[in-house]
Amino acid sequence: MMQGPAGPSNTVETTAPVLGIGAVGKRFGATRVLQNFTLEVAEGEIVTLLGPSGCGKTTLLRCVAGFWEPNGGTIEIDGQDIVDVPVNRRPVGVVFQSYALFPHLTVARNVGYALRMRNRPRAEVAQRVASVLETVSLTGFENRYPSQLSGGQQQRVAIARVLVMEPRVLLLDEPFNALDAKLRGAMQVELRQLIKRLGLTSIFVTHDQEEALTMSDRIAVMSGGKIEQVASPDEIFDRPATAYVADFIGVSNFWETQAETGHVRLPDGQTVMTDLTGGVKVMTRPHNLRLGPPEAGPWKGTVSFHRNVGPLIEYHVEASDGNVIRVSAMRQERDRPVKDRSQVSLSVIDPASCSVYPG
Amino acid sequence: MAEAAIHRRITPPGFGEQVADALLSGRGIWPAVPAIVVLTVVAVIPFAILLSLGFSDFEISRGAIVSQTFSLAHLTNALTDPLYWITFQRSMNLALSTTALCLLLGYPVAYLFLTGGRWTKRLILVLTIAPLLTSGIVRTYAWLVILGGRGVLNSALLQTGLIDQALRIMNTHWAVLIGMVQIHLPVMILPLIAVMSRHDSRLVEASENLGASRIGTLRTVILPLSVPGIGTGSALVFTLTYTTFVVPQILGGGNYLNAATMIYEQVVFSLEWSKGSVSSLILMVTCLIVLVAIALLTNHFTKWTKGHDA
Repeated sequence: MMQGPAGPSNTVETTAPVLGIGAVGKRFGATRVLQNFTLEVAEGEIVTLLGPSGCGKTTLLRCVAGFWEPNGGTIEIDGQDIVDVPVNRRPVGVVFQSYALFPHLTVARNVGYALRMRNRPRAEVAQRVASVLETVSLTGFENRYPSQLSGGQQQRVAIARVLVMEPRVLLLDEPFNALDAKLRGAMQVELRQLIKRLGLTSIFVTHDQEEALTMSDRIAVMSGGKIEQVASPDEIFDRPATAYVADFIGVSNFWETQAETGHVRLPDGQTVMTDLTGGVKVMTRPHNLRLGPPEAGPWKGTVSFHRNVGPLIEYHVEASDGNVIRVSAMRQERDRPVKDRSQVSLSVIDPASCSVYPG
Repeated sequence: MAEAAIHRRITPPGFGEQVADALLSGRGIWPAVPAIVVLTVVAVIPFAILLSLGFSDFEISRGAIVSQTFSLAHLTNALTDPLYWITFQRSMNLALSTTALCLLLGYPVAYLFLTGGRWTKRLILVLTIAPLLTSGIVRTYAWLVILGGRGVLNSALLQTGLIDQALRIMNTHWAVLIGMVQIHLPVMILPLIAVMSRHDSRLVEASENLGASRIGTLRTVILPLSVPGIGTGSALVFTLTYTTFVVPQILGGGNYLNAATMIYEQVVFSLEWSKGSVSSLILMVTCLIVLVAIALLTNHFTKWTKGHDA
């Protein structure tokens, strides 16, 4: 075990990573699922692997857990390579997508499983099970079987079962998939708060961007077995490094144009600085655009659709160049939304918030 | 126009449709009626007649029973006859040891099926089902060829010098046991595989992730979850072996008497139908006792499947 300072998050930058994944590759036959994958996770940090199915995120998780052996590369925990360590000796806890609770064991026996497998004395098992069940607010459910619990309760048992063995690294494989939308949102907040309170170093796998934005300290957006960008949720959302990331996270508007020396001209006449030359793609989020009366600017269009999404109104505007541009505006009760088929002009609120990618 | 009118009118179902609905609704016993009728005619009635012969003294004249009086004599004779006790004990021993051996040999195969890759699974299925495609009699005769005095096994052992005198296996208890185990092994393996592959393979991964060794996972996860398969397989193998007739007859060489061969001799050779009837009843009752015991044990170890409604 590392003898470093006991995990206050303000020292994260200076301490050695808890989990270090170095140049890990994984093939199945001729298919390369992971290529030269490198990632470091600091003490107490939650890093999300986000990407569409088949991008390799689950493969990486299974390699860290030890269910699959990588074809090359290193996986280190506290500086020690664990690639050759068998599954049951790794200080890694997995919360499975379907929870994989033991159906023949009660809640208490499910949670105490890891301790019994380590031959801990009965009194210690009972005491630690009780304390972990209290942590996940399941006191009183000790003698229920998993089939007698709701989805949310089953998830808590799955988490408690892993927490009891005090893992160095926590792996969460799409743990919210089996929950309905409303419960999912509540459990996300609850789980993040719990993990942060316990200071657990975690990797969280999901294909759901909202989940990733809620849960993570950093997000690694993956595509085709490689990382496209690793950054904080804010940076991923506001400064996506590639067009792929911009497209995958949130709603984005793209238009293709030619860069002039040092800058790109936007359709509304404003300019964005760039080092790129030749054909480029410019991206901006719907909330960085504004609708105005048709005579207010050179970038004109027609509203083809609008809808009320709670606090926002989302517009689809068919621009004169043929692009469909998505614009969102805060909804004010006294305002009337712009009607469909209205002529409008579009303008960018802050040109500096636009991203420019090679075309 | 006419078609539209038909769709709009609400018509009550005809009688034929009502009967079909009743049969297919799955409520009540209606779907089972044809099978019940057939079984009553070909099994229940003959068995009732047979039983009545076991509990009566009767007189036969020109192929018909002419007088019949109730009597417990056949039953008391059977229960006080040491031959019956020895024979039924032998049958019970044979059936229980065959069941135990099938479980011991079959469980590792089912475990291999659970943990193996795609081709292992296919191979196991083919090897398990293939013997079922040939008749049990053919397979039993094959054992004659292998186990006989100059059979394959003895020739091989003699030639390698492991023994210098042919082993006498045929016509012994051992020949019967070997044949029984081989013939009934698939009946044990198939329910085991069916039950074991019903569970999420992630349970095994979860167990290992939580620190269990292979053996720990087998003991605490795979074994408890496969109890229903063990129960079903054991009940099937026990019933088949306890009441079997062909294998002891052929591999026992005619001098191996178990319950089924005894009943065969009583009914077919000595025409003592009352004795045969009483023997059949004892066979059935003792078989049921063991089946109930297996069911109770299975229930005891699968309490977790109850109470899903709470």
